[in-house]
Amino acid sequence: MASDDDTNLLVIVVDVNPIWWGQQAQREPQFTLSKCLDAVMVMGNSHMAMTRTNKLAVIASHCQDSHFLYPSKNWKGGDGSGDDASSSGDGKYELLSVANNLIAEEIREVMSKTEVRGNSTDTMLAGSLAKALCYIHRTSKELEVGQEMKSRILVIKAADDCALQYMNFMNVIFAAQKQSVLIDACVLDSDSGLLQQACDITGGLYLKIPQKVALAQYLLWVFLPDSEQRSQLVLPPPVHVDYRAACFCHRNLIEIGYVCSVCLSIFCNFSPICTTCETAFKIQLPTMVKAKKKKLKPMS
Amino acid sequence: MMKLRVQLQCKNLHEYLRELSPEILDRLYNHPATCLAVYRELPSLAKNYVMRMLFLDQPLPQAAVALWVKKDSQKDHDECVSVLAGLRLWHSQQLQGGLQGYILNPVFKDNLRIALLGGGRAWADEGSSLGPDRHARDIESLDRYAMERWEVILHFMVGSPSAAVSQDLAQLLVQAGLMKSESGEAPYITSAGFQFLLLDTASQLWYFTLQYLKSAQSRGMDLVEILSFLFQLSFSTLGRDYSVEGMSESLLTFLQHLREFGLVFQRKRKSRRYYPTRLAITLAAGVTSSSSSSSSSSSSSTLGSTPGAGDTGFIVVETNYRIYAYTNSELQIALVALFSEMLYRFPNVVVAQVTRESVQQAIANGITAQQIIHFLRTRAHPVMLKQTPVLPPTITDQIRLWELERDRLQFTEGVLYNQFLSQTDFEVLRDRAQGLGCLVWQDVTHRVMVVTPQGHSEVKRFWKRQKSHT
Repeated sequence: MASDDDTNLLVIVVDVNPIWWGQQAQREPQFTLSKCLDAVMVMGNSHMAMTRTNKLAVIASHCQDSHFLYPSKNWKGGDGSGDDASSSGDGKYELLSVANNLIAEEIREVMSKTEVRGNSTDTMLAGSLAKALCYIHRTSKELEVGQEMKSRILVIKAADDCALQYMNFMNVIFAAQKQSVLIDACVLDSDSGLLQQACDITGGLYLKIPQKVALAQYLLWVFLPDSEQRSQLVLPPPVHVDYRAACFCHRNLIEIGYVCSVCLSIFCNFSPICTTCETAFKIQLPTMVKAKKKKLKPMS
Repeated sequence: MMKLRVQLQCKNLHEYLRELSPEILDRLYNHPATCLAVYRELPSLAKNYVMRMLFLDQPLPQAAVALWVKKDSQKDHDECVSVLAGLRLWHSQQLQGGLQGYILNPVFKDNLRIALLGGGRAWADEGSSLGPDRHARDIESLDRYAMERWEVILHFMVGSPSAAVSQDLAQLLVQAGLMKSESGEAPYITSAGFQFLLLDTASQLWYFTLQYLKSAQSRGMDLVEILSFLFQLSFSTLGRDYSVEGMSESLLTFLQHLREFGLVFQRKRKSRRYYPTRLAITLAAGVTSSSSSSSSSSSSSTLGSTPGAGDTGFIVVETNYRIYAYTNSELQIALVALFSEMLYRFPNVVVAQVTRESVQQAIANGITAQQIIHFLRTRAHPVMLKQTPVLPPTITDQIRLWELERDRLQFTEGVLYNQFLSQTDFEVLRDRAQGLGCLVWQDVTHRVMVVTPQGHSEVKRFWKRQKSHT
């Protein structure tokens, strides 16, 4: 089957963490959330313009939930339901203007509706990625016989990593790897160890952009080519991956720790019973140390 | 070399555009729809080049562009460069430091930006200015309408008495070489026409449109205007009405023709609104499947299987050479019968057998094995589509072998030399021709030889010299 007839699905996950974007607006007033979404729309439009079979989904990742910006629930989807979403009345391709209007409408709703409650200020990135994977799975099920679909996820990451999500995040990454879904990451602020691992494992690209204002150009330049074209192009070299894992007890990133021999849970300090699978360890580490010491004594 | 069969050549959009004159190309890029359509036709690497340069206003040094690709894809890069230059999408320009640089065609750049990001004028008036349509059409009825119209044309080609088309259309079919008409008689189908019938709907449509465009200029229509409108149609939304407001006289005539092909739906000739059908929307997509050329043997079925875009998914082929066609369409049954022997016929299914005689009969009619196989593949039943390859390899191989059986004769043009007076004369000339490498055939006992037309003048000159010497 010719490669250009395959469906290509791109899911863009945008970090819309209101706290980070609020601070960003004060730091750099020329790059705000709306500017970022403009860049995302340019990227999405370019992807859909590439071929007729290219598909797009955009997910906003908020503090408490993740929300589909496109295709959204309010829109019936498929062809011919463009009654409510009218085109912008200018020279834009109709499909694109319908999509862009929807995205703008949805993000407005998301940002005005959700209020930040309590102290959960981290982005629900793992949840959004899981949602993206589910969407990819559903779309691939809906394909006709004989058709194939290639999918990838592009994460536009703003706020810092959250070690609390380590477990969920790794599960999502391995699920993506199993389904051969690429995860690309475009990082706006500080490096993210979790996303570095995600890109490394799934074979995607990781890029921390030096200039936020030029986001659209970075997206078009680096992230627009699909996996096939990437093999022909010269792209940024892979970064050094921070493979430190977060321990299950305190969610600290550690390089050396204790691993449960039954369930492979990681701990930063020793406990006689594994908190994940409740295995009791018979051979206790302190006694082993004592035994060694006893042996050592006659020698000295 | 004598051409045995007339192969139906189906060009894709890119090949078509390359033949247009530069002035026409430059004018074409004045419309966002054509820019988008041309952009979609580019090789994937070239698409990325365009995207990278879309928002740059200065030329890029050629050396920098060459560094975009890895070393082992240099060939693809060269191809992209020539394609982009051939379609006048980018120009070379002198940079300040004396280096050569590339810059996108400004008209193309502006219009592609408009297509992607908005701005500029609207493509067409939407029906909204007319208010809601009292006779609004849903998608199913549009699909049905489009298919009916298209089948009428096909029926007309095979000579069904019930099918009637307009004078214009019949003339177009004759001009396209799909039908032939002798003075006063009703036109009948040609071998190219048979090949045309076996194509999938999208390719048929594209071939037909190309023929239409060819004749459009002779009708005094503006090619650019028509092409822009056609691409605009192919990017419109199905099930939505558009207004004819602001269309020129020749475009309105064009719309009437499109209406006859089933590309647009218009309730009445004078109706102020029209609906594009699925045929129109898949038109630009059908461009890519150059299914009649044998190189792209695996042209995918995705286009053909677009619901409503063709009578798809009804043929089951078994390894015992039997074909089961689950259809009651006279046309489709007639098509299957072109290359097979009918065995049984039931209300909803016909059973046919592919035999050596039936295939060779088809090949004698000018149909190629490739076209038969393509026909079977694009109309394969969903059950068949699940297996890979879709068709049993024994069947496809055998059909190809049957075709090869006919290709035992090879035709070569040549010039005959005979009536030599002596054996030595013959031998001298023959050795000379052999030395020049242009001897095709010789018979020593009858003193006859054949040389290629290219070598003929040289051999003749030699013979004249030889005669004057002796």
